[in-house]
Amino acid sequence: MKTQPHKRNLRISPLDASIILVLAGMLGYVIFKAATGLNYHWKWEVIPQYLLRFNTNTQTWGPGLLTQGLITTIKLSLWSGILATILGTVMGLFRVSPSLFKRQIATTYVGLIRNTPPLVLIFIFYFFIGDQIMALLHIDDFVYSLSNETKEFMSIFFGPMNRFPQFLSALITLALFEAAYIAEIVRAGIESIETGQWEASTALGMNRTQTMLHVILPQAMQRMLPALAGQFISIIKDSAIVSVISIEELTFQAQQVITTTYRSFEIWTTVLVMYFILTFMCSLAVRKLELTLRRN
Amino acid sequence: MSINSYPPSGKPARFPVATLVDTTKYLLVMTGLVWFLAVGTERLGYNWQWYRIPQYLWQHTEHDFSCGLLMQGLGVTFQITCISMVLMLFIGLTTALLRMTDSWAARGVARVYMELIRNSPLLIQIFFIYFVVAPILDMSGFWAAVIALSLFEGAYASEIFRAGIVSIDKGQWEAAKSLGMAPYAMYRHIILPQAIRRILPPLTSQAVSLVKDSALVSTVAIMDLTQQGRMIDAETFLTFEIWFTVAAIYLVVTLTLSGVVRILERRFNGSQQSF
Amino acid sequence: MKFLRITALLTFLSLLIFTLGCNQAPTRADSKSSAIQVSQLETILQRGTIKVGFDTFKPWAMKDKDGNYIGFEIDVANKLAKDMGVQIEFVPTKWSGIIPALLTGKFDIIIGGMGITPQRNLKVNFSVPYEFSGMSIVASRELAGNRTTLADFNNPETTIVVRLGTTAAEVTKNFLPKAKTLFFDEESQTIQELLNGRTHALVASNPLPLTLAKEYQDKIYLPLKEDFTKEPISFAVRKGDLDYLNWLNNWVLVNMSSGWLQNHYQYWFFSNEWKSMIQ
Repeated sequence: MKTQPHKRNLRISPLDASIILVLAGMLGYVIFKAATGLNYHWKWEVIPQYLLRFNTNTQTWGPGLLTQGLITTIKLSLWSGILATILGTVMGLFRVSPSLFKRQIATTYVGLIRNTPPLVLIFIFYFFIGDQIMALLHIDDFVYSLSNETKEFMSIFFGPMNRFPQFLSALITLALFEAAYIAEIVRAGIESIETGQWEASTALGMNRTQTMLHVILPQAMQRMLPALAGQFISIIKDSAIVSVISIEELTFQAQQVITTTYRSFEIWTTVLVMYFILTFMCSLAVRKLELTLRRN
Repeated sequence: MSINSYPPSGKPARFPVATLVDTTKYLLVMTGLVWFLAVGTERLGYNWQWYRIPQYLWQHTEHDFSCGLLMQGLGVTFQITCISMVLMLFIGLTTALLRMTDSWAARGVARVYMELIRNSPLLIQIFFIYFVVAPILDMSGFWAAVIALSLFEGAYASEIFRAGIVSIDKGQWEAAKSLGMAPYAMYRHIILPQAIRRILPPLTSQAVSLVKDSALVSTVAIMDLTQQGRMIDAETFLTFEIWFTVAAIYLVVTLTLSGVVRILERRFNGSQQSF
Repeated sequence: MKFLRITALLTFLSLLIFTLGCNQAPTRADSKSSAIQVSQLETILQRGTIKVGFDTFKPWAMKDKDGNYIGFEIDVANKLAKDMGVQIEFVPTKWSGIIPALLTGKFDIIIGGMGITPQRNLKVNFSVPYEFSGMSIVASRELAGNRTTLADFNNPETTIVVRLGTTAAEVTKNFLPKAKTLFFDEESQTIQELLNGRTHALVASNPLPLTLAKEYQDKIYLPLKEDFTKEPISFAVRKGDLDYLNWLNNWVLVNMSSGWLQNHYQYWFFSNEWKSMIQ
């Protein structure tokens, strides 16, 4: 990509030709194997009903199971993204704080999270820490005390309210996890601002908080934005892992559908495509954002 | 990762008493946190049975000492990590070189591969390769998992390789060309030796990611550390004890690797300054 | 400074383990007695909702086309809630983590075709059984060929798939100790392994092997004519709550004698009437 991006002449070099040949050969081999070696009756026609389906009870079109899962994935990612940004910013500021105490706290947090596999962390959070937080906040009682209208209204944002406690614990789990990475982005953003800025602000009589708020963060924010947006894409991808704690997001729904239909080939392919479309669109948006920022 | 405040304070060293106070405060907070969690679990009526854990780490009779299930799992984790690492380096380097050629087909292939991998979750990729691709190509379960993992990490490694190669000064290329070197000789003798120096530290942190991500292959019945943990958990219901132990083992491994990264970084930075 | 970071981490870890390890004896008695004071039954009635933990096992519990849960266990749970006079809330949970989830209070009861085992009983209480289910084995025609006894499968060259955390895992260990066993989280994954021809056989509770063998006659078959175990299935609840357990036991007795349980069992396990609801 780096080499001559402006010249786009379709000249077929020997390397091009050989690569295309190899690719075509591989593709042909796979198709040949799939058609002959694999004793599997493809049934793609079962898929559409899981994307969009006609509900015979209410006589309306609605999202199918997989689409519902995708919507939950988006909701989950959005909320944990917001929570993770807040927590991550606080921890990032702690990381560069003059107080050794704050730095130790933040370093422990970031170090622990970044060096443990997400799968293991999710089990620990879900069974161990999630419960404590839930009990502390009295989430259960809160959900049961809601009126039906409020429940319906809130379900637009959080999914079905009777599953809210699980949704929340998945959300917190994911946010705690991603916040460690955001903290590092924030730290790098702040450290990328030259010390001259600090010295100038001090000379103007600003204290540390004022400098941070009015001088450093606005500039750092601009440099951090692409990285933060990239982290959001990671959140979408990592949200697949929370399927192991039974949140009804895309991966979980896919497994449920496979349990009843046994159509794993078609469904895993569809799910892969769905994730790809979602994250690829986000990636394109990030790249656009990056370009706009660079131009300014 | 640094632990210093930013901007660095002008004072050469902190007053030791303040350090002591801060550390005490930190330890107090951590103890409080742990105590809070412990009390919370008591409220749930959880019965801690730490004494049942060591048998899963090691077993020893009179004159025989053998690894427990968790340690066997760690062995598999290492095995997967090492094989994937080699494959990752190969895939990463190939992709990076493909991306830098003049051939549009090569760049196209590399581009499609990277977009596909970087825009879908690893878990789904593992499922897809294990349940869809592997049966079509008659691959064994272990290799399906290893290949899924290496393809995933390879996409990130290729970015590291490319950045390393691009960072080589333009003059070096021109000098090599003017000496009449063929592209292979140029890469082999001029570019790669210099690039390696810059590539090694980020590559090692990629290895840390590899160790962590390898936990996901447990979802396709590979007997790695996580899967062993899950099986012991399903059998004995020692949920908390098992997960804390597993997390601690991973931490020891990844922290050791991170330590290596830091030593490497320091050594390479040092030698670069001496040029 | 780097040294400091690592020491801090390690101190924190060792603290964590130390406190969790030592801090158990004195407070335990209190928490136990307070749990007995308020029966879970009372809590459920006050809340007006019973939370039920389960996982998808066809046809115990599964999703229909509209995304609602249906199945034998779902019917049982609904009837139970109706008799108790409360609303019902389903909490789908991975089977491998279902007992820890019950212990940590994610729901009030497991209604999910859980077989009683001594190991599980050490951690949870079981009601009297409300049904019996048998383990069966279903094998791949291509790999297992014409094996017809359990002994044929009991050798190191054979791979068996089971679902992680099910009694099938235990049964396989007891009956086929020499075979290589692979564990998956999902029922669908075990079935896929078998259909993909990567494993010799799948061990699971009936009627899954039966329906599978019927559906994929060309690929798989039932080597044994009969189930090789008969397991009591019952409700699981947290320990130390006699009132709750008594209510559940008597609920089973009442619904057993009225024939309700047998009727529904018949419908889900031996009829095909519900097939159109899922595909």
